[in-house]
Amino acid sequence: MAVKIIESCVNCFACEPVCPSNAIYEAKPHFLVNPKKCTECEGDFPVFQCASICPIEGAILDSFGIAINPPGSLTGIPPEKMAEAMAELQSH
Amino acid sequence: MQLPVLNNTPSHAEHEAKGGCEASSCGTSENQMDSLPDSIREKVQNHPCYSEDAHHYFARMHVAVAPACNIQCHYCNRKYDCSNESRPGVVSEVLTPDQAVKKTMAVAANIPQMTVLGIAGPGDPLANPERTFETFRRLSLEAPDIKLCVSTNGLALPESVEELAKHNIDHVTITINCVDPEIGAKIYPWIFWNNKRIKGVKGAKILIAQQQKGLEMLIAKGILVKVNSVMIPGVNDQHLAEVSRVVKAKGAFLHNVMPLISEPEHGTFYGVMGQRGPTPDELQDLQDSCSGDMNMMRHCRQCRADAVGMLGEDRGDEFTLDKIEVMEIDYEAAMEKRKVIHLAIQAEMDSKRLEKAEKAQQQKQKPRLTTRPVLMAVATSGQGVINLHFGHAKEFLIYEASPDGVRFISHRKADQYCAGDTSCGDGETTLQVTIRALAGCEAVLCSKVGYEPWEMLEAAGIAPNGEHAMEPIEEAVLAVYKEMATAGKLDAKPEAIRANA
Repeated sequence: MAVKIIESCVNCFACEPVCPSNAIYEAKPHFLVNPKKCTECEGDFPVFQCASICPIEGAILDSFGIAINPPGSLTGIPPEKMAEAMAELQSH
Repeated sequence: MQLPVLNNTPSHAEHEAKGGCEASSCGTSENQMDSLPDSIREKVQNHPCYSEDAHHYFARMHVAVAPACNIQCHYCNRKYDCSNESRPGVVSEVLTPDQAVKKTMAVAANIPQMTVLGIAGPGDPLANPERTFETFRRLSLEAPDIKLCVSTNGLALPESVEELAKHNIDHVTITINCVDPEIGAKIYPWIFWNNKRIKGVKGAKILIAQQQKGLEMLIAKGILVKVNSVMIPGVNDQHLAEVSRVVKAKGAFLHNVMPLISEPEHGTFYGVMGQRGPTPDELQDLQDSCSGDMNMMRHCRQCRADAVGMLGEDRGDEFTLDKIEVMEIDYEAAMEKRKVIHLAIQAEMDSKRLEKAEKAQQQKQKPRLTTRPVLMAVATSGQGVINLHFGHAKEFLIYEASPDGVRFISHRKADQYCAGDTSCGDGETTLQVTIRALAGCEAVLCSKVGYEPWEMLEAAGIAPNGEHAMEPIEEAVLAVYKEMATAGKLDAKPEAIRANA
């Protein structure tokens, strides 16, 4: 039972100090979670602390491998709009 | 303690009767500075971001020690790593406090005009209290001749005020985009507060309350506060005059209204959703309408969170981690040298200020012109004189000349934010882009202009002028204005130019 930080992490440090179990550590190329320490905040907080401050959609997965913050949930940019904008940029 | 605020001007009715240009905000901002109490003048006179005058002479730097943020703003993308972009929130490398101290001392020794060290991100400095305060703690001991300042979104400000006061940080910038939570919800999608992510109006309401409380606490401690606001057309543009009034009433010293930057390629909410930034005209109109209530900053360059050098330039490449690693710095010796240079700059500034005041006085005694105002662009690399080739200018300072005198309006970038790839964009040459950036100006003053740009400028209705090289900017602008008046060019209102600017 542990969350996982994946490669879309931008190394902003925000999650590291808010983890109640000190399970998050700085690493290359991005921050990582020590699965032995991570408690998914159980007993401490009703919500994942790391995923509640993380600004990057999809960067933290729950123990089922599902993004805790899915596309569009944080920035408010609808995923199809983002895809459209990226396609537009790449066509140049 | 309520700080005195500049531009303590007459009522609104009187303001409007004079056509939106009351005496104290015309002329130069140096004159405004003159009306400050000595204690405040002392604090801002060598701070390039707090004094328009000082930014021609003194440099600043930011160290990027604070990557974490506790809120999301719709104009920000937290993927901050890009070396080709120049805008807030962007950095090349995040530093540890130790690296930041080393870099600051290396820059201070090599760029003696550097007087100010700021921490401005790329996240929120106060959301990284340990990294931020460790940097401040060490610098106040090891480099006591450097002014320290910090900018923040304000969410964690109230709990940080004690610590800020302890480190002798006497300049704090709070970004306040609204005082109305409904508007806030359109700018801030969420905040992290009391161990929860709080979205929408509820989050914005907490953020606004914290910002206002923090502002009041700083003023009570006698700390100078500048307020930054991002102007977002259709979102908070109508609301910022109210923000200006509120923060002034609480004692903020300076208000800096900046244009939204929202290129789609930055991947921000506003960029992707097609929210436009304000035109130079819209920005100037808002700054002018706020200036009746508040001292406005107009020379902000919206620099990177790791910028180094004079405002408008970035010498960060000279001070990368691998380069500072091998620099030997004798800071005691550097401090001696810095002191001598600072005194010399101060003496030059004082004498120029005096000269300017005398000229303005003489001007007042001459018969008043009745001509229309004109915008002019100026190429300068500092020292308050016209000393840059047209083709070498990466930005132009925009001045307005009118019967009331000469006042600084803004700067405009000559090359766009992303200078990494000259082939991108719609195929315009750099020269065409530059000329477009000068829209609305009727003259451009520089030390020299080449033949090709000369013709293109003239064709665009912008008179090139290289006759005032090395002259003080305000004097030169006034001289050109008078020439234009004598030549009968200023009789009709240039509505067409204004509308297209």
